[in-house]
Amino acid sequence: MASAAPQSTLSFPRETFAKLSPHPYLLAHLQPTSDSSIPTRANGRVATQFRTPHINNGSLTHAEGSAVVRIGDTTVVCGIRAEILLANNVAGYRVDKSSTAPSSKVGYNEAKELDLLVPNIELATGCSPAFMPGQPPSTLAQSLSTRIYSLLHSSGLVDGEDLRIWYQPPDLSDQDKMEEEDEEDVPEPEVKAFWTLYIDILFISLDGNPFDAAWAGVISALKNVRLPKAYWDPDREMILCEDSVAQSKKLQLRGLPIAVTSLVFKAKEQKQAKVQKCWILVDPDTFEEGLCEESVTVVIDCGSGKTKMLGISKAGGTTIGMLEMKGIVSLAEKRWVELSDLLDR
Amino acid sequence: MNSDRRRINGPSGGTSAPIYSKYITQDLSSLPPRPTRSRPPNVLRKMYGQLMLFSVLKTGVTPSASGSAYLELEASPHHPNLTKTGLASLSTSGLKLTCTVHGPRPLPKSAPFSPHIILSTHVKYAPFATRKRKGYLRDASERDLGVHLETALRGVIIGDRWPKSGVEVIITILEGEEDRWWGDEGGAGEWGMMSVLSGCITVASAAIADAGIDCVDVVAGGLAALVQRSGKPGLVLDPVPSEHKDIVAACIVGYLPQRDEITDLWVKGDIGDGGGYEELADNAVQAALGAHRVLVAALKETADVKMGRY
Repeated sequence: MASAAPQSTLSFPRETFAKLSPHPYLLAHLQPTSDSSIPTRANGRVATQFRTPHINNGSLTHAEGSAVVRIGDTTVVCGIRAEILLANNVAGYRVDKSSTAPSSKVGYNEAKELDLLVPNIELATGCSPAFMPGQPPSTLAQSLSTRIYSLLHSSGLVDGEDLRIWYQPPDLSDQDKMEEEDEEDVPEPEVKAFWTLYIDILFISLDGNPFDAAWAGVISALKNVRLPKAYWDPDREMILCEDSVAQSKKLQLRGLPIAVTSLVFKAKEQKQAKVQKCWILVDPDTFEEGLCEESVTVVIDCGSGKTKMLGISKAGGTTIGMLEMKGIVSLAEKRWVELSDLLDR
Repeated sequence: MNSDRRRINGPSGGTSAPIYSKYITQDLSSLPPRPTRSRPPNVLRKMYGQLMLFSVLKTGVTPSASGSAYLELEASPHHPNLTKTGLASLSTSGLKLTCTVHGPRPLPKSAPFSPHIILSTHVKYAPFATRKRKGYLRDASERDLGVHLETALRGVIIGDRWPKSGVEVIITILEGEEDRWWGDEGGAGEWGMMSVLSGCITVASAAIADAGIDCVDVVAGGLAALVQRSGKPGLVLDPVPSEHKDIVAACIVGYLPQRDEITDLWVKGDIGDGGGYEELADNAVQAALGAHRVLVAALKETADVKMGRY
């Protein structure tokens, strides 16, 4: 720990220093007075060091898919429940020939049009004193839910076909063949219903970087989903499911995007100086989040051998340019290898 | 589905939970066999991860809970001739609870003077905690659980040591107890809730101890029930509702073993004439004693870790 140097000049303990003047506290860690010690953050990590992730799948029995993701002191439980949306209940959905169905149009995203993916983040679980239950979801919870929602759709992660429940009407043409011989062949299969995935993300413990943890939870839980075999029962006029594992199916996810968030910590004291000293801190904790303004989240997928960027969101400052961005992406690539290893297990 | 504009609500047409063909057929033989109680009537379920502390040992720089605890009760074993399925349909769930304690901390300036600590409790089911998906807004049963929990805890905390302060106890039910087995019809109902409450009392007690809040004793929750077994009523400790077709009555207590005091008592069902009631309550106390033993052992272990560390 690089803490030995600042502590010797202080007459109060480290915790008090951190609380009274958090900015100089972190700065003192990143700029140790002695050259021999390695600059680390207040949490003991070096600037480019991520926290070790732990992922545990399928531990919830009532959810079709679930995951518990722990990154440092941030713990997320993600549970996915699948429910059925009848095509009849979709306003304006035309159950007609598949050739003219809206799904045949280019760029049609069925999951988005029909709202089949429903992610929600709950922070008011006592995970942090800042978010207390009994109140409507905080702004952070709402914005995180929206970001997860838009990333789910823009990444095209879930194949719309996986969510459809088809029905093949019986071929009645045999009996009618006598009368109308030139009548057309087998009736076309139709979509009777859709699976809707309710993705609920609960924070059990929050110590910074909620988005990365929540997204890892969503991916891991989606990989864990098993949808039962569902079919349209024409006699009962309802969708029924079979509860055998052999007949159930997993979702075919397209890619494995990983979110990586970094913050920029600036040495405030040198405001008059032309070049302000700054550090890029990856995978920040709550203490660091309180001290930094500029943040970058990159979502990348290196699954196909080369790095695909699915999203960059950057806000709060002007420090990060092209060069820094490259550094962040290469760090994210390293993180992708680490996380995808865990997720593929 | 209530329309909550601050959350993502899903399709406006409304969705329904999957219906499994097995359960709507009248053929009883095709139904999966009900799990049976393999424990003797007077043995509690195993408690796992009795006290898993997350992020609480760190204080100061990381803002986190003052105390927390996690409780998991084992699920009833699957029927021997039923292969363990990975589907959500045939699940026999155990109980999974997390509890965090925030405080004691000063009340806001606007709050009226209080000579003792103000305890507030929140109990919330996760949306995926039960067979039927729960909403995000607290419903009546969750509020009821919160009130019962507060009653059970209020007498335990030595409140006048923290005037003008508040403490919050928040429980998230990650996986709740079922009220009945899958094929069963309606029935009187919410037996699962009582089992959940007894778990809530135990886990909250652990989290309060972990937060270092002075208590007169470690309170533990216990549950006993009167069930019909082969035609005769019999008493069982720590019943799992899905294992018993006919639960006649159930009693839950919050119990302080050192003082032999009960802080919360809730009896439900048909107890018949007076005699049965007392026996039922005695058995619930026995169950609480069992939970208390596990709790104290876990707290000792935690204390050792803390002492060793500092």
